[in-house]
Amino acid sequence: MYATKQPSLRIKQADLKCKNGCGYYGNPDWGGYCSKCYRSSMEKDRHHRKSDHSRSPVPGFSKFEEKKRQQTDKKSKYLSFAPVVFRRTSAAKDVGRPERHHEPRHTNPEMEKLELEYMSTYIHLGRHVRDDFFKFVKFFNVNIRNEMNSRPIEEVAVVAQKYYNFFANRINSHEIYSKMEQETKDHLIDFFEKFSMTTLYSILFCPHTTNDEEKDLAIQRRIRQLSWVNAHHLDCCISETSMEVRDLVYAAITHLLGMDSVKAPQEKLSYVVRCCQSVVEVLRHCQGGPVSADEFLPALIFVVLKANPARLKSNILYVTRFCNDARLMQGEGGYYFTNLCCAVSFIENLTAESLNMSEEEFQGYMTGTITSVSAWESALVACEGMHQLCEHLAELKGLSERMDSVQEGTLNLRETMEAFKKEINAKVIEIRESTPLIIKPRKIPISLDKQDSNAANLPSPLAPTVVNSSSILSEQSEPITIPITIDTVADETDETTTQTHFYTQNLATQELNLMDSKKGKLQLDITPCLPTETLKQSQSNELLAYDTQSLDGFITPDDGSLLGLSNINYDIDLSDLSADNSVADELTPEKKKSPNFMVDPFSPLSGPCNISQSPLIPSSATDAPIASSSTSRELTNDNFVLPFKTEDSSLLNTQGNASIVHLPSPIKPHTPHYSGFSMQGVQIPSIPCNTGDYSSLNLVQQRESEATTSGIGDNSKKEENKSNEKVVKVLGGVLDTIDKLF
Amino acid sequence: MANNVHDFKVVLVGEGCVGKTSLILRYIENTFNSNHITTVQASFLKKKLNIDGQRVNLAIWDTAGQEQFHALGPLYYRNSNGAVLVYDITDASSFPKVKVWVKELRKMLGNDVCLVIVGNKTDLEKERHVSLEEAEQYSEAVGAIHFQTSAKLDEGVEDVFLGLTNKMLEQAAKQHSRNETLERQGSQRRNVIIVDDEDTPPPASTRQCCSHF
Repeated sequence: MYATKQPSLRIKQADLKCKNGCGYYGNPDWGGYCSKCYRSSMEKDRHHRKSDHSRSPVPGFSKFEEKKRQQTDKKSKYLSFAPVVFRRTSAAKDVGRPERHHEPRHTNPEMEKLELEYMSTYIHLGRHVRDDFFKFVKFFNVNIRNEMNSRPIEEVAVVAQKYYNFFANRINSHEIYSKMEQETKDHLIDFFEKFSMTTLYSILFCPHTTNDEEKDLAIQRRIRQLSWVNAHHLDCCISETSMEVRDLVYAAITHLLGMDSVKAPQEKLSYVVRCCQSVVEVLRHCQGGPVSADEFLPALIFVVLKANPARLKSNILYVTRFCNDARLMQGEGGYYFTNLCCAVSFIENLTAESLNMSEEEFQGYMTGTITSVSAWESALVACEGMHQLCEHLAELKGLSERMDSVQEGTLNLRETMEAFKKEINAKVIEIRESTPLIIKPRKIPISLDKQDSNAANLPSPLAPTVVNSSSILSEQSEPITIPITIDTVADETDETTTQTHFYTQNLATQELNLMDSKKGKLQLDITPCLPTETLKQSQSNELLAYDTQSLDGFITPDDGSLLGLSNINYDIDLSDLSADNSVADELTPEKKKSPNFMVDPFSPLSGPCNISQSPLIPSSATDAPIASSSTSRELTNDNFVLPFKTEDSSLLNTQGNASIVHLPSPIKPHTPHYSGFSMQGVQIPSIPCNTGDYSSLNLVQQRESEATTSGIGDNSKKEENKSNEKVVKVLGGVLDTIDKLF
Repeated sequence: MANNVHDFKVVLVGEGCVGKTSLILRYIENTFNSNHITTVQASFLKKKLNIDGQRVNLAIWDTAGQEQFHALGPLYYRNSNGAVLVYDITDASSFPKVKVWVKELRKMLGNDVCLVIVGNKTDLEKERHVSLEEAEQYSEAVGAIHFQTSAKLDEGVEDVFLGLTNKMLEQAAKQHSRNETLERQGSQRRNVIIVDDEDTPPPASTRQCCSHF
């Protein structure tokens, strides 16, 4: 039918004759021999081959697959001789084909298994379906076997496809199958393929009529040659050291190898799909994101190269020929199978160019002059030590890369730190320049001293006025006079401004101690403590006193000559040591209103002050004042005055009444039975709220000690308290009177 | 098979980095380069369409665009009904590649294959290096439809596949009618005839069998 020889336009008769020259006509199918000569030549050929077999054992005996193939090879070659003799058709293109009686006729265990599978899966479809199915399978079987004897494998494949289509049409259209769902129909079609192909596997897979086996060997050899190709060469990002990736690659390889272990084309296809899915997994692991064909194909090529599956080509051809085209051409299976074909094709045609390397390099690799040992190859080599070595090398490489990056990172960090430092320094300098530090004189809190000094320069506005004239005093049987403190800032000259003076602030209703007018301030608040009866009387007197004396004080308080008390400062300082400066703040407005207002700043002491040491102790007057009270105005005057700086003129001092000095804090309430002091009248000095500084205290104490004429009674303190209480009371009275005055 | 269901195989061809994968992902998943794409692989994707009551299953095959795999193209193209040829409008060298593929496809699959030429990355219009006129002229000359898309901005992606599907449906209808007229004539190999002859008995016999039962 086909001429294997190149047909020429003119065929001479000699060309048609047997090549042996026996005179008979030759046949191109018989290699140009006549039938007799062809037979004899084949005989010779057989002998030759037999000896060949015995002589050359397969070199790659180490591999089981190789052995297995060799066995089948032998068998096929052995078988191929027999039919030659009995050949009926001249259509043979290849060595020969098996005779029918060689085909397994018995039902093998696989058949039984498949039948069982059918029974378990499709028995519910009914007897008709089953009968039809098996009838068709049998028919298909017989026909394909017949075809195999008469046609080349490609044509048989076409026939098989025809039968697939036929069966599919039958299932879709025939009434027996009409009740079935489409899905079941598809499954049944698949199962039909599986069933028939499994039974026919032995004759259809890698048929002896083809050179599939040679192709297998060729590709295997080729892959072995290309074992040096690694992921890097293929531009695919499979990392060779990651354990996870390696496991996935191994899974892919296993699946690819598994393809050879099953018989039905669809099963083989499913193995391909599984393999490719593993490859996709690998890629997803290595690069992330969806995997496109650009990355997938190189990875698959890599896997195929590393797997080097047995009978790869035969499997591919088998699937291509006998897998239901309708299935193969659509769906994932088809796609991945196509990719596998592409990978194989790529490997077959691999050149230096396709690996992006120079021809010399490629040749170097191919001939083994250049060797690259990667972790992958060594993993496939049996030598464990070598494998570990390679793995460690790869790991070390990775580690050194990481270390480099870490070092780089550290350097960067250092640089940024330095830059940051510089930047900060520059900024600091800049800010320093733009806003130079000006050291302003420290703000000294306004101290009472200052206030004092100011106040000292000012004539004390508060002029204590003698409310009680001597007549009043005399009139009154028992005028209760609460000692009123008159604080004098005595000697400005003596004491520097820095030294603090504390003056108790008292309300002064009594006349100022003019005697003290050494420019000293009289700051005093007098609280006359008069019994109510006397108070009324005294009010009139006070009024007089105001008229006469305080007027002057109003006008020229500075003079200090006459400080009439027109207004009463009833600012009682209860906190001895408090730092309240409010008085100072309010000074000006107060002054306007009442020139008599005495600024009586008291400030926290620079030195500690004890109330107990407060020099002005009215209660001390328990005895002494009484004596002095009635005596003279002078005495009374002296009473106000204050111990801190007292002049000798001060009555207390002159009297040498030490008890005054000993009085503790003046503000304590006085018990009413202090009335005994009333004799003294108004002139009893009130208690200073603040104690003086030490110096003054000392002075006082000195004086005290000097003047201790009378012992200090303990009860004096109690008395003092009482007197203080009275002071408060009197204060209220004074306030009233002042209100009335205004 | 069922009358109204068409299974079309579409190959996606184009140089590397022209945006094939982005295009297909945009079409199938309506996402662009985001991490929450559910698809593990973007190389083989299916899409079901319904056009005028005709159900269409598109199987989109991505192909490796690298130069070194160029020779493998024919394996991919086999039996495909349509092809989407993608080029990058900002990459002048990607368009000539399209021409090569068109030639190859025409050679392999004849005129039955429906071609669509797509200029991708219109969002980078400023950097355009392939002129629209040239592309359109060429497309018309080879009987392809030209589209411009931006997978990033989701512009025109849907149109590409809709246009292609419509064309493939037309082609399928044409082919169907042609097949009817040419049935049992030379397009198939002669052994088919024999097979057909042999085909007939089995049904007959089975039918007999069935009737017997």
